[in-house]
Amino acid sequence: MLVNLPGPWNPWLGRLALSEIPYTNPILAPLFVVVVVLGLLMVAGITYYGKWGYLWKEWLTTVDHKKLGIMYIILGLVMLFRGFIDGLMMRTQQAMAVGPHASGMMGAVHGYLTPFHFGQIYSAHGMIMILLAATPLLVGIMNIVIPLQIGARDMAYPYLNALGLWITAAAVVLIMASLFVGDFAHNGWFGYAPIFELAYSPGVGVDYWIWTFQLVALGTTLGSINFIATIVKMRAPGMKWSRLPMFTWASLSANIIALTSFPCLQVAIGLVAADRYLGTHFFTAGFGGNLMLYTNLFWLWGHPEVYFVILPAFGMISEIIPTFSEKPLFGYVTMVLATFAIAGVSWLVWLHHFFTMGMGPYVSTEFSVATMLVGIPTGVKVFNWAFTMYRGRLTYTAAMYWALGALFLLLVGGLTGMMLSIPAINYMVHNSVFVVAHFHMMLLCIVYAIFGSVIYWFPKVFGYTLNEAWGKVMFWLFSAGTALVFIPMFMEGFMGMTRRLDWPFDPHWAPYLNIQVLGILVYVLSILAFVVMLYVSIRDRAQHRAAADAWGTSRSLEWLTASPVPFYNFAVVPQVNARDEVAWRREHGLSAQRASHYDAIHMPNNTGIAIIIGGLTFVLGFALTWRIWWLSLISLLAIIVMMIYRSAKGDPGHVIPAEEVERMDREAERTMPRADLPRHSGGVLGGAIAYDSGAAGEGSANLRGAPDYRP
Amino acid sequence: MFTRKWQPLRWVRYVALAPLLLLLNGCATHSIWWIFDPHGVGAKASFDYMMIDVAVMLGIVGLTAIMIVWFMWRYHKGRNRGTYDGKWAHSTTIEVFVWGIPILAVGFLSWAVAINGSFAVNPYNPTVITRHLKPHGDPIEVDVIATDWQWLFIYPQYHMAVANELVVPAHTPVFFKLTSTAVTTDFFVPQLLGMIDVMPGMRTKDALESDSIGQYQGVAADYCGAGTSWMLFKTHVVSKSDFASWVHHAQQSTGNLTVAGFNRFAEPYININNKVEYFSQVQKGLFNQVILEVMHGRKWPLPMFMTENMVGYLKKQAAEHRA
Ligand code: HEM
Ligand SMILES: [Cu+2]
Ligand SMILES: [Cu+2]
Repeated sequence: MLVNLPGPWNPWLGRLALSEIPYTNPILAPLFVVVVVLGLLMVAGITYYGKWGYLWKEWLTTVDHKKLGIMYIILGLVMLFRGFIDGLMMRTQQAMAVGPHASGMMGAVHGYLTPFHFGQIYSAHGMIMILLAATPLLVGIMNIVIPLQIGARDMAYPYLNALGLWITAAAVVLIMASLFVGDFAHNGWFGYAPIFELAYSPGVGVDYWIWTFQLVALGTTLGSINFIATIVKMRAPGMKWSRLPMFTWASLSANIIALTSFPCLQVAIGLVAADRYLGTHFFTAGFGGNLMLYTNLFWLWGHPEVYFVILPAFGMISEIIPTFSEKPLFGYVTMVLATFAIAGVSWLVWLHHFFTMGMGPYVSTEFSVATMLVGIPTGVKVFNWAFTMYRGRLTYTAAMYWALGALFLLLVGGLTGMMLSIPAINYMVHNSVFVVAHFHMMLLCIVYAIFGSVIYWFPKVFGYTLNEAWGKVMFWLFSAGTALVFIPMFMEGFMGMTRRLDWPFDPHWAPYLNIQVLGILVYVLSILAFVVMLYVSIRDRAQHRAAADAWGTSRSLEWLTASPVPFYNFAVVPQVNARDEVAWRREHGLSAQRASHYDAIHMPNNTGIAIIIGGLTFVLGFALTWRIWWLSLISLLAIIVMMIYRSAKGDPGHVIPAEEVERMDREAERTMPRADLPRHSGGVLGGAIAYDSGAAGEGSANLRGAPDYRP
Repeated sequence: MFTRKWQPLRWVRYVALAPLLLLLNGCATHSIWWIFDPHGVGAKASFDYMMIDVAVMLGIVGLTAIMIVWFMWRYHKGRNRGTYDGKWAHSTTIEVFVWGIPILAVGFLSWAVAINGSFAVNPYNPTVITRHLKPHGDPIEVDVIATDWQWLFIYPQYHMAVANELVVPAHTPVFFKLTSTAVTTDFFVPQLLGMIDVMPGMRTKDALESDSIGQYQGVAADYCGAGTSWMLFKTHVVSKSDFASWVHHAQQSTGNLTVAGFNRFAEPYININNKVEYFSQVQKGLFNQVILEVMHGRKWPLPMFMTENMVGYLKKQAAEHRA
């Protein structure tokens, strides 16, 4: 062993021992029982209904971008809930512990969580919310929507897509395992040097953090390659760059950020791992280590990352607002420029996360001004959304509620961001709960956009709309929770309350902390409203069947194909004639236009390899965390073997005959309600082509946009 | 499709706005709003810059919010307040304003607060303090060492030191040099001066001047392990004569800080009972010595029991606290 490991280690189990399982902890032990019981119930249920085959064939081995997207979203929602529970514990701890006379229980001096336990909770909370909740939710929505918006049959690399999902899932399982086996990191989601070094964090917590991070980073990087390739190469005929829907543009810029920044994170975290496993001194205080190097490398990824998550959210808002304003997006070109401006500048601002390191006025000014520059395109976007509504016809659906809510949160987040970007101000509020409130405004802006898009695109994927009334109830409860939690938090920032206090020492903060607990309770109600919304919607699904254009006023290409989307997306690859294709067809009386000629469709085959590799990456992460060398080696080798096997085997894909496609398309047509819209009576306008039927005999036109899955 | 038959819990939307009422009682009390109630020259300057920034940004953001709400009201479908134009999606005039307003605002803020502010409260040479330095003024120097999890303030001019309490004279510039033994944290007295990182093996600087006699709370603003929350120190700004007698009093204490003594002091310790210690003798050059040792690999490792399961340790500390 190259490092001095505190505590026992043995060659078979590494650092693992029975004592690492917190079966005496009064919170974790019952939770563990609940999880096990729920797990067993699920297994029993699936077995009883004989659904294992279905699960394996239709979901676990699928390479269909929509199903993968749905699984990403479910994963994200589950983690959103887990992260929320962490938040609930932090809020209750601070409220119970505030002031010098607060009593303590369960070993804590004040409140009910010991300092180290509290540290683990907020570290897990941050990591989960940003990387394992927001990111999978966004990736899931991008997965579903992008191929539909550009008229593709699937992603460019369907197998890679599945691999990304299962590696992300492995990260999720790893971080969940840290709950029940050993500890998680205590030093914040971004880690601090040198506290994460072995000398100051001797347990396995930081190791869990390292490998969880590496896994999500890997999964997300793979995903970003796929999205970029898909958007660049798989657009339907006529889908020129100048016609690309705004959400696709935003996703493209976001994924360029991801592809270029995540490797930087992987290097930074990899060097931390080297310090902890190999005894190097990259980030130690002594022996020539440079701890500020870590902070720089981390935020060199960290800041672009926050734009990686907000840009798709901006894209979602840009889709929802025009649909319910019955107008095209105002200033499309400016909007694209603003998106890429934000993406570009996001690379130049990372030092604003540590102005307080004493970098001198010239460097701070530079980064301060660069940070404020981001405010310009962001402001432009807000104005453009406002002018999209101007002269519009606004329908206040639940999706529109969430999109507009996101807009207001963005205003608050932008205002406070512009305060933080000024060093003179930053010195007073950095590391205070004011910063926490700032980025929660931004991240909640994303969450609002996500809820908006789930409601907005749900009918496209499932064929029926979600219950509007309950969607709105949830919106108002969620907003009440947001206000009750974060307005007091901003105020505490001005009271000088620093972040990450397991014991808030000043009793004056008590009322504000109590209001926040109230806010958390309101959030709980909103979660209940969400569950009710799902229940009611599923119960009443027959009454709410959606037409191809589920909202009647939709604009972009995904609303052209049937709802729910067939697995091949478009029976015939559409010819794109305009920026807002569906709106254009509606205006030109082409909505009812149907293809007359069908061609065979070539689709990729399912594969179990992705989920197997995902499982192996979990084993690898777990073995490395606990320093079980033999297991690490075996799982690593197995991953490599699987990869070689898959590459050698390839995937010939399969072909759906034209008659079958036609039958399915007619069937979908028959069962789908017609959008009750005033229709123009006119026929096809001169020169417009609704479908690219392809030259007879060639048969390949419909495969344009579909990749060749052969190796 | 969107008939409003039943709207459950309409009232919940008002709950969302209720917390705004809280803002009304803001600023009524004196000192709990530390950031709005600065008593140090640097903190005051920061506060002023904050007000400029907020005024400009609130002007824009506030008007934008009003505009959005107005559009939402005016173009509500079916209310026939505004005229609908489903084709209108571009206007060069508006685009110019849309880009122009943020550009002007950012330009102004860059100059007025970003650049000026960075020099005014530059921790290494805050011009708000240093430009008033009289040639015959005698600034106080304080060397700050953060350990896991205590603060040591060395007054090299007086050869004495005090742990977990900072005393400085009013109307006098105080210059800090800061470092840390084990891990990184932030030195912060919200009402007096902004945060500055303290890092092991490195030296940072900061400066403070206050004209208001009083007691202010100092904190460790960055997470640095289990004792972070307890790593507090009271900062007393006292009159010059009180300061002299305080120094005299401290110099009478029996505490004595050699390098070996310091290494014992720097062992991990959660200061639950807010212990203050005085040292009349401090080995010369202790501050530099600590930095040097850390650079050569000295560590103060945390024992497992201070990270994994702290229950036993905290029980012991709590008992000590009660005793
Ligand atoms: C106008 C745009 C924005 C500006 C000017 C801005 C500025 C800043 C600054 C200066 C900080 C550092 C605060 C400190 O630690 O002292 C910060 C922190 C942060 N911002 Fe923003 N921000 C903006 C937008 C966003 C967006 C869009 C997001 C993400 C969705 C975001 C997420 C965060 C996060 C997560 C942190 C803190 C990370 C941490 O310390 O844990 N910000 N922001
Ligand atoms: Cu440094
Ligand atoms: Cu940033």
